Amino acid sequence: MDFGPKILFVIPLLGGIPVTDSVVVSWFIVAFLGIIFYMGGRHLKNIPEGMQNVLEIILDFISSFVTDVTGPKGEVIIPYIGTVALYLIIANVIGAFGISPPTRDINIAASLAVLTIIYVIYSSIKARGFKGWLKSFTEPLGIILPFKILDIFTRPLSLAVRLFGNIMAGFIIMELVKDFVPVLVPSFLSLYFDFFDGLIQAVVFSLLTVMYVHEGMEKMED
Amino acid sequence: MSVAMAAGIAALSVIGAGLGIGVATSKAVEAVARQPEASNKITTIFLLGAALAEATAIYGLLIAILIIFFLK
Repeated sequence: MDFGPKILFVIPLLGGIPVTDSVVVSWFIVAFLGIIFYMGGRHLKNIPEGMQNVLEIILDFISSFVTDVTGPKGEVIIPYIGTVALYLIIANVIGAFGISPPTRDINIAASLAVLTIIYVIYSSIKARGFKGWLKSFTEPLGIILPFKILDIFTRPLSLAVRLFGNIMAGFIIMELVKDFVPVLVPSFLSLYFDFFDGLIQAVVFSLLTVMYVHEGMEKMED
Repeated sequence: MSVAMAAGIAALSVIGAGLGIGVATSKAVEAVARQPEASNKITTIFLLGAALAEATAIYGLLIAILIIFFLK
């Protein structure tokens, strides 16, 4: 029983780069999203019709999701959050269609978490200036400095392990059930473990990202 | 045998997560009963808190998996 990512093929460069199935599935998700949004965004009209309606509904949902937390000045971060949220929703729910979800690979979860913390630091420096960012480590008290520095490392760790652990647990349970009772029972369990849990994890990851970025962007009012 | 016992003890972290999500749910139900019109905000906050509480159980599961696969 091996639940980890499988190596599909090896790129013969630099002594061989192993490519796992999670990376290939991620490529397909990126291509799918890219094609849909490129085709939908080619001929934009003032009065939307067909595909443009669907895309505008998605965009409105994401933008209200972000601005509910941050207020109107948080519109800058909608592109990043939208990208991550759309990728995560498809990547977590794809297990219901018999494809192994890419987020059960600790490397992909960790990459997303590291991207998020880099974006938090970048937006914080952009909003406060470099000196203001350094000063934010000693707010509200100087004694809190070591914990703020620890936060930079514990936040991405906790984000990555939460996403990876949830998806991995659902995946392992589904595989065991499929071995044990292959008929009818997995379909009901798959509704929870693939759909509900995957959607909840995508929402939680995006919401925590929004909250971290928002916290970094605020100036302390004296 | 000892590996199985260690994994079982690591899985006891589920107790804490269950209690935490139970308390969060009861408070959320009370809040919605007091103010039904605020149910959307309460749902968001509740889901966030439940996910944070659930993460502790996931850590326990992760430790159990690591024990099983790497301490053979």
